[in-house]
Formats: sequence, C-alpha cells, structure tokens
Amino acid sequence: MIMFTMKFILAIVTDGLLAAVAGTGFAIISNPPRKALLISAFLACVGHGTRYFFMHFALIQANLALASTMGALLIGFLAIPFAMYIKCPAEVFAFPSLLPMVPGLYAYRTVIALMKMVQSPSVNVDTNQYVVQFFHNGMTTILTMCGLVVGAVVPIFIFYKQSFSVTRTKREEKK
Amino acid sequence: MRLNRKLIKSVFMDIHTQLKRVTMFLADYAATLMAVGTQTSRVARNTGRIAESFGFHSHIMLFSRNVIITLQDDDGRHSYTRVQKIPSLGLNFATNMNLSKLSWRAYDEHLQLEYLEAEFKEIRDKKRESPWTVLILVSFANACFCRLFNGDLVAVATVWVATFVGFYIRQQLTKLHWRQLAVFIVSSFVASMIGSTGYLCHWGTTPDMALGTSMLYLVPGVPLINGIMDIIDGHVLAGMSRLINACMLIICIAIGLSIALFVTGIKVM
Repeated sequence: MIMFTMKFILAIVTDGLLAAVAGTGFAIISNPPRKALLISAFLACVGHGTRYFFMHFALIQANLALASTMGALLIGFLAIPFAMYIKCPAEVFAFPSLLPMVPGLYAYRTVIALMKMVQSPSVNVDTNQYVVQFFHNGMTTILTMCGLVVGAVVPIFIFYKQSFSVTRTKREEKK
Repeated sequence: MRLNRKLIKSVFMDIHTQLKRVTMFLADYAATLMAVGTQTSRVARNTGRIAESFGFHSHIMLFSRNVIITLQDDDGRHSYTRVQKIPSLGLNFATNMNLSKLSWRAYDEHLQLEYLEAEFKEIRDKKRESPWTVLILVSFANACFCRLFNGDLVAVATVWVATFVGFYIRQQLTKLHWRQLAVFIVSSFVASMIGSTGYLCHWGTTPDMALGTSMLYLVPGVPLINGIMDIIDGHVLAGMSRLINACMLIICIAIGLSIALFVTGIKVM
C-alpha cells in the first residue's frame, strides 16, 4: 500500500478541484440550468480525478486515451441517477463535465507540428521528427475525443429508455 | 348532397388547418432545439412525441442548417410539410432541458396548441446568464486548465488575462453579428498574443504552457461531443456536419495562433 501515499491522494484531489473550476467555466458558455451546473462541476472533479489516478497510479500507468475513457465512463454512470433526480437530460451536465478532459493541448501541439513540418525548407531529419510529432499528437487527440464520448455515452445507451424519459414529470401509468 | 359536401369540406379544412398549425409549431420547435445544441435523436424523439399527442405521425429530417418535417394524420390521407431554417442562437442547455420537459407535458397532459406556443415562446426568450458572470468564470476555468498542465503561477496569471480579453472580444464581435469563423480567428489571435508575453519578456518557467493554453477556451467541445454522439446514434450526416463545423472552428483557432506566432516570431518546441 506504499503507492497510496498522502502526496498521491493530495495530487488527485488537487487535480479534481482544478478540473471542477475548469468544468464550471467551460460549462457556463452553453448556459445550463443552475442545478446542472453544480452537478457538472462535481462530475468534472470526479472524472478528472479518475483520469489522473489511472495515468499516474504505479500499477496501471494508462495512456491518455484509455484513462480519459475510464473517467468518462464513471461520469456517464453517475450522470444517470443525477438525471433522474433533477429531471434533466443526462447529457446536459455529462457533456460539459467532459470539457476539461478535451485534449486541447494535444490539438495545439498537432497544429504546431504541422506548421513546423510545412515551414522546414527541405526534407531532413527534423522534418521526419515533425511528422512523427504530428501523427502522435493528432492520433492522441482523436482517440481521446472518441474515448471520452464513447465512455460517457455507453451508460446512456444501457439505460436508454430511462435517459430519454427523465424529463417526464408525471410517472408512467400502467401501459 | 350540397349539405353533405359542405360538411365534408369543413371537416377537410379543419384537419388541414390543424395539421398546418401543428407542423408550423413543430418546425419552429425542432429548429430551436437543433440551434441550441441538442443531440439529433433527442430532437427527433421530442418532436415525434408532441406530434403523437395530437394524434399525428411525424417524419423529420434534420440537417445542420435546415429542418424538414412532414406531419400526417392517422389514415394517411392528409399531410403537411414544412422546411424551416435553423436560427443561430448559440448553445443553450437550459432551453434544451425545458423544451424536453415541455414535450413530455404535452404528451402526458394533452396540452392545447395555443398553450404550447406560449410556453415555447417563453422558454425560447428566457434570458441567458449575464455575460460578465460567464466572462469571469471562463477566465478562471482556463487559468485552472493551465494549472492542470503544470503551468506555474505566472503562466496561470497570463492565461487568465488572455482569456478575459479574448473572450470579451468574442462576446462583443458576436454581438456585432460577425461570422463565427472570423470571430474565432480574431479572438484566438488576441488571446495568443497576450499568452506569448511570457515568452517575449522571459517571465516564469513555463511560458510554453501559457501560450499553449491561452486560446483553449475556444475549442468547441460540445459540438465535437454532440457530433460523435450523433454518429454513434445513427444520425451520421448530422453528426458529420457537426464535426466538420467544429473542425472549421479549430482550424480558425490555429490560423489565429499562427498569425500571432508569425507576428511575434516565436519558435515553439
């Protein structure tokens, strides 16, 4: 149990709290209802913390795409009961809470690598390096993006009927 | 005979007018839902549900700029079709939630069309969060985002300022009805100019993080997620158009960034 040092746990919590602030801010651009905003902050915290755990825990050390998928999966599963509780479509707060995990920095690096690749005057060793960087960062971006959505959406598909009728206020009578 | 014919005519007019009015309302309803960033399958379901509460069958096609909807009565003898342009409203999840709720209420309580129209107008015209709240929260969010990538405090402060100014410009230009692509180029340019001050003045230890995260608040996360969700759901065309739209915006962010790098002459990496 030496891996669960105080420092590691503290790092996870810090990571989660920063993600919660980031999640709130990115969520509010899309004008969610107030209650959903709080929940998406909480889910962003849990999801990002999970991702940090999967990436830095000594026994797992997952890559970014896999760890993000795990974080998103947890967000998706937690989103369904919250959706039933406040009677609001799950994606209204599940999607904004994914936003801090969107791999913007990798997309940025992809673009930078592309620019350097184009700018290099002749094909040399550096150019090869830029091509590798371009594909590495680009594929990480795409896979992480897909992983995020698939992770968050799988629970919605498992509870398909519930997730489309959560906004119903009147309970369904016998059909 | 004459009376009979008149009767038939009046019944005919009645059902046709009714179909027409419900279709007009539903076209507006579906277009608004698409505009505020609802996933396509939910739009189709919500619209179909309201149509069902009036006893009509609905057939709907959803594209990125237009909605086509046909309503049919029970025996299929009368139908009405409408093509509606999707307005540009900006993402709004509160509208999404309230309109979804309205569709279930219409289904469960068999609400009258006049009532639905009034409720719909009220939901659509509800005020958004104040732009200043949004501005401050987005600034803090992007600053925290920089911290998540191990930027130091100088970088965090730079990113806060860059986001504040960049997002303010985005809000103002959107208010002036600029094209969204142009707004993104300008906003990204300004944000990365401010983000690059760390490089230019040799502040802090992680100026690359300050530059790299300064315009990330522009990344269109919700359209990207919605697009992939739509493709998984089987609405491939709608999903692809959302994804391509999002990619266009990302390219615009990159253009703004490259102009800034060109102006400042920074060599990154």
